Amino acid sequence: MNDALARFSVATPLILWLLPLALLPLWRSAQRLVPVASIAAGPADGLSRAIGWTLRLAGLLAIGGLILALAGPYRNGETVTRTGIGAQVSILVDRSGSMNETFAGRQPSGAEESKAAASRRLLGDFVGSRAHDQFAVTAFSTAPMLVVPMTDRHEAVRAAIRAIDRPGLDYTNVARGLAMGLSQFGTQGAQVSRALLLVSDGAAVIDPRVQGDLRAAFAKIRPNLYWLFLRTKGSPSISDKPVGEDTPQAAPERHLDLFFKSLGTPYRAFEAEGPEAVAAAIRQIEALERDPIPYTEQRPRRDLSGFAFGLSLFGLVLLVAGKLAEADIRRARGSVAPSAAEAPPRRMAA
Amino acid sequence: MEPDIVYRPRGRLPGTALGAHRGRDAGGLGTFRDQVPFLRMPDARRIDVRATLRDPFEGTHVRRFESRTAIEVWALVDLTASMRFRGAADRMDLVAALCGALAASATRIGDAFGLIGCDAEIRADVTLPASRRRGIGAAVAARLRDVRCRGAHADGMAQAGRHLVGRPKIVFVVSDFRWPEALIGQVFAGLARHDIVPVMLADPAEDADLPAWGLMELDDLEGAGRRTVFMRPALRRAWIARERARAETLSRIATAYGRPPFRLAGRFDADALTRHLIGT
Repeated sequence: MNDALARFSVATPLILWLLPLALLPLWRSAQRLVPVASIAAGPADGLSRAIGWTLRLAGLLAIGGLILALAGPYRNGETVTRTGIGAQVSILVDRSGSMNETFAGRQPSGAEESKAAASRRLLGDFVGSRAHDQFAVTAFSTAPMLVVPMTDRHEAVRAAIRAIDRPGLDYTNVARGLAMGLSQFGTQGAQVSRALLLVSDGAAVIDPRVQGDLRAAFAKIRPNLYWLFLRTKGSPSISDKPVGEDTPQAAPERHLDLFFKSLGTPYRAFEAEGPEAVAAAIRQIEALERDPIPYTEQRPRRDLSGFAFGLSLFGLVLLVAGKLAEADIRRARGSVAPSAAEAPPRRMAA
Repeated sequence: MEPDIVYRPRGRLPGTALGAHRGRDAGGLGTFRDQVPFLRMPDARRIDVRATLRDPFEGTHVRRFESRTAIEVWALVDLTASMRFRGAADRMDLVAALCGALAASATRIGDAFGLIGCDAEIRADVTLPASRRRGIGAAVAARLRDVRCRGAHADGMAQAGRHLVGRPKIVFVVSDFRWPEALIGQVFAGLARHDIVPVMLADPAEDADLPAWGLMELDDLEGAGRRTVFMRPALRRAWIARERARAETLSRIATAYGRPPFRLAGRFDADALTRHLIGT
């Protein structure tokens, strides 16, 4: 209760000293008083009593609302933590030069779209679809780039994703990208569903010395790992064994896959050979990541004087209605009699 | 010129003051009453010759005549705040007209008129001792018109009986009788030896002319508070029935002490009061 009150403030608190004036309707009434010889003459009546109290409350509301409105009430801006359905998703996007190519391995021409453009389009839809998802975007090529930290501002995330089809650079350094992608999750909220979405069209060897660090980080954060492998037509698949020697250098995709499988965290790899396959993979990810997530909401300071004026208006309308319904015992027949006397000449005139 | 109020006290009045009403005592003048033996009333001037001759035992008879006696007329006026009520007519104006007419009528036929005003106590500033002086009517009316009614209850009415001692009088109890039932009985009991004429002040605005619809904020003149009343036909019917029940209660109590109450509403009509007084 105190917390709820603490959220409200007024701009001019001094005016609130006038609030006792709101009690005036309790001993004075806006209605015209009808003096009677004995108040006990009228039979007791529940409806009348209710209307009497309603009018009194309306007067209280009218005066109190006006004073409150003059004082300028507002609700403080605040950060509210709520729980919704969604996940923390760290998107790790490959920005190597090959992402500029189509799935066919060419430079895009005409209606063709590059792998980067396709993933941009589909990921953009993914970001807007659920209100309470939180996203972080990291790009990597030779070095990782922090694009957007973990946030629920989807507009910013979409803008970051719109930027991933900028021409890419250089090589693919998965290890450092993964490290930064993991660091995006932060430390709090272990019960939150977390997903690391790696979008790449190739892989690279992970240095065995770095592997240990990555394993430790995965074990600590325990994200669901999704690898969206944008496979160029003709290039080796994740599961293909190389013809010659089976070393990470010869088949980096396969060995990255094996490394991911060895991490002990939930892991799925999607091999996509075209935009439709990418879309299907993203729909699957969306369906899998459905868990309660606490999210924060910024509420701006809100002016409540309109509400107070509204209350006051409501009271005033009731009072005016009461005033219009007023009757007086003295005028009851007295006002009828003269008009009856006037009636005959009017009839003759007509 | 306001017609006189004609009243007739119940029974034969004791007393020697010469007046307009039938006395209990027999006297030498007036209406023939009976014949008595000469020895009971040795008045040689009123020997009834025919009756004396007709008597086989040769007794002498004397005619007796009814003496005419005066009576004191008192108005006992309730001056509580509720008498300030102003509906179709101003209640105190009605009272002033009634008492003025009573005073004029009483003094014209030689009766004395006295006035007692009461709220919680007897109001000395309003009270007038009985007086036979002619032309007192205008003074009484003026005094009542100027009087300020502020009392919250009418308990002084019960003390009025102690001020009205001696021979029976006619006492007009003028009030709206918005009293507790016990007080009504107490006041009438205190005046029981007199000829009580209750005059109930009413107003059409208090029953028949109540509005059928509307919102009224009632303010009790005697300071019992305020109340909002939402008038509607059902409530109006209940209200009128309640007023009628109250009038019947008063009528029941008053009739036990002699006369039913006279309802004074809207306009003072001396002839109506005369009819009421002669008819009851």
